[in-house]
Amino acid sequence: MSRYAPARYPATPILSTSARVLVSRFSFGLTPTLASEVLRAGGARAWWEKQIATAYDDPDGLAAEADWWPNQHYDAATIWQRQQAGTEGSWAVMANYGRRLLARRIVTRRQVLEVMTEFWESHFHVPLGADNVAFWRVPYGEEIRQRALGTFEDLLQAAVLHPAMLLFLGNAISTKAHPNENLGRELLELHTVGIGTYGEDDVKAAARILTGWRVDQWKTWNAYYSPRDHWTGPVQVMGFADANAATDGQDLTRRLLSYLAHHPATAERIARKLAQHFVSDTPSEALVARLAAVYLANDTAIVPVLRALISSPEFLGSAGRKLREPSADVVATYRALGATIKPPRIDSSAANQMLWQAKNVGLGPMEWPRPDGRPTDAQSWATPLRALASMEFHWQVAGGWWPGEDIVWRTPQQWLPRPRVSLRVLVDHLSRTIHGRPSTEGLLRSCCVATNLAPETVITKDHPLVQWGFPRLLGALLDHPNHYER
Amino acid sequence: MTSSTPIPGSPVDPVELAASAAPEAACDCPTGGLSRRRVLQGLGAAGVSFTVGSAVVGIASPSAAAVGGGDNVVVVLSLRGGADGLALVVPHGDATYYTARPTLAIPKASLLAPDEMFGLHPALAPLLPMWQAGQVAAVHATGLPVANRSHFAAMEEIEDASPGTSSRTGWLNRVLGTDVDPLRAIAIGDLPSALYGPAPSMSFNRLDDAVIAGDDKWDPTHQRRRAMAMQWRSKGGPMGTAVRSAMTAVSELGPARAAADRRDDFPATDLGRAMAEVSRTIRGNVGAQVITIDQGDWDMHVSAGGVASGAMVDNTAELAGAIAAFFADLGPDAARVTLVTISEFGRRVVENGSGGTDHGWGNVMFLAGAGVKGGRYYGRWPGLAGNLDSDLPVTTDYRSVLAEVVATRTTASTATVFPGFAPQAVGVMTGL
Repeated sequence: MSRYAPARYPATPILSTSARVLVSRFSFGLTPTLASEVLRAGGARAWWEKQIATAYDDPDGLAAEADWWPNQHYDAATIWQRQQAGTEGSWAVMANYGRRLLARRIVTRRQVLEVMTEFWESHFHVPLGADNVAFWRVPYGEEIRQRALGTFEDLLQAAVLHPAMLLFLGNAISTKAHPNENLGRELLELHTVGIGTYGEDDVKAAARILTGWRVDQWKTWNAYYSPRDHWTGPVQVMGFADANAATDGQDLTRRLLSYLAHHPATAERIARKLAQHFVSDTPSEALVARLAAVYLANDTAIVPVLRALISSPEFLGSAGRKLREPSADVVATYRALGATIKPPRIDSSAANQMLWQAKNVGLGPMEWPRPDGRPTDAQSWATPLRALASMEFHWQVAGGWWPGEDIVWRTPQQWLPRPRVSLRVLVDHLSRTIHGRPSTEGLLRSCCVATNLAPETVITKDHPLVQWGFPRLLGALLDHPNHYER
Repeated sequence: MTSSTPIPGSPVDPVELAASAAPEAACDCPTGGLSRRRVLQGLGAAGVSFTVGSAVVGIASPSAAAVGGGDNVVVVLSLRGGADGLALVVPHGDATYYTARPTLAIPKASLLAPDEMFGLHPALAPLLPMWQAGQVAAVHATGLPVANRSHFAAMEEIEDASPGTSSRTGWLNRVLGTDVDPLRAIAIGDLPSALYGPAPSMSFNRLDDAVIAGDDKWDPTHQRRRAMAMQWRSKGGPMGTAVRSAMTAVSELGPARAAADRRDDFPATDLGRAMAEVSRTIRGNVGAQVITIDQGDWDMHVSAGGVASGAMVDNTAELAGAIAAFFADLGPDAARVTLVTISEFGRRVVENGSGGTDHGWGNVMFLAGAGVKGGRYYGRWPGLAGNLDSDLPVTTDYRSVLAEVVATRTTASTATVFPGFAPQAVGVMTGL
């Protein structure tokens, strides 16, 4: 037997490979606690169905998740008034929004709902840093969370006409004399049918249809419909045509959105995006076509498409095919380390500082500055800059050096599964806890290099490794390729 | 850390052998492994801007075989979002410009360096001395051969610059060539699609941050780095390449880190800070031959502002101030550096109802530095139309401009970099 043969510590629960793929892709990080929950539910698939079925069962509990920042409850008028008075800039509302998203992803038991919320909130992306969106951005995210497991059409209607989106893409002040094309273009290019399926005349017609949906900027920030700003006259967007004679174009807009939601090009685009996010950067055309057909057959309902996706052999065989993006790295790392994050009291509290860590690794939640939403493919995030930034973040938390306030890190002694344990067994316990899988010879070897210890070394609370060397061991787990995968 | 049970014959990555020869030493990592100061620096850097920093630096080092003559550097500055070329270089001699832009037009009297047709936006003032010295030129009515109004598709088309092929390599990657020694190919930051391809590249935000955290004086035998090198040695996929490139580049960037940091001589803007890092890297002479930088926030559909203030003035001033500071800071190294700006598309001729402009087509490109025949405006002016949908038509394919830079400042073949494209003469570079 090789000197570096791995040991097994079965008391720390893990899942089979295919179950791990399902739970890991539909959560922000597998932990022993989550693995136990999955096993209690009767397996990964049963857990997933239960997550879907019970996502909204306890609305008060949902609303209370990481509800730690009072300014998340202010309405547009209050945010504006506080900004005008110099009490608090609207940017602070957005910073706390990003923080709450991170905290929520770490603590929520509704992991599937939160994963799908991020997916759709990124699809209908309204960057937190965009001008004027702060007044409406918090309720915008909540609208999407409430619909994240419903139908695409419902999401589309809610997102495209939401004041946050109207403000972001210039529709809020579009006029019939000079329709602003920004929202009309992104509606076709990003939200629905996708590039290559429409022409410039379709963009112009979509922009004309959208005229009238406005926001009272710089005063009340109320959204309203303005018939006198609505462009009238015949319009055609792809196969959707209308005389558009009335100055009230609201119903017309709703019908256009319904048409686009049900368009086969939209079905294909959503199917591809889901497959790329959950299966691999390069899913098969057959899988995309199958998911698109399910989408159309179910009147744009999302769950049947997801169910078809997770049932596909391509999904079940896709272990190791997806790279964690920067904020996912941060969230998964906190979950893996079992750190307890408390409500923030001061700037240096962990719940406040995590946002800077996500930015340092590459990007805070919903901060991608362009309307297309952040990429989730490996090519985009696998840069040397990201590698160095992840290494730095992993090192900060491996030692519990930053953040230091309002967080309880697991102590090295608490990481020992038994009072006396060999390094070989300890590494298996850590591998199960942090990577969600058994240790390998290669992992054990690299942990021996990181600690300069032999595999048979007996570790107790008095060993130098526990006394002061533990960050190198945790670092070796966090910097490992397994921890970069989701 | 040291231990009572050292491992004889413990696995050591060959690359790391030299570093691992240090004797065992006491380690007090818990206090020193990551200093508080570094943490605070990181925090400060992140706190500067609320959104992701809009200026990003990428660097690639080509093989000596791909670029002979060795020392020339081409800096490609991308104006992301679609800059308004009709405001940057104003066609004051075209009367339609003034009727089409009732609130946005720049009065002729405010323009810098005017000739009978064009003049520079007043916020470009920091570049005026270089313009007058013949070191900055503008080529107008450039762009893609066919209009593409999608930010993302247009950027990709411009940066791929090889229409009709399915290859995912950018034109800058083709400048580098494929025969690149991985140890010489430094990769530091976010990569534009112009750099996608087989030649590795490095990207960074700040040279001083291009280090491996924890691989410090408290870890004299590099236990952390050696363990990481083992784990990633044979890992496939983009992240495997990225981690290995990072580990290699960190050591090779030493000379650049040793070059004086003169950030304080640059404007305190995202682009200014990024250009300071570019200058320091060039002065450090680590062999970088293609450098890319982004400046964001050019997508001004709403409230672009007037001649004296507003978003257009701010972005234009940031651009000019950073370029001027960059060439000043380069000193004698400026003689080997050529900068070119590019944007995915221009804006519509007629302003919209929101005090901004929508996505258009033709645009202006600036060239500055070594080999540029500056102090004048290039390109054939097509004349403006003033309909709601009117674009500035493109009369010079952007690849014709880039081809002159490639031909005169690199030894790459323009036929390889822009396959199937026959450049037209622009005449903006010397040595053609």
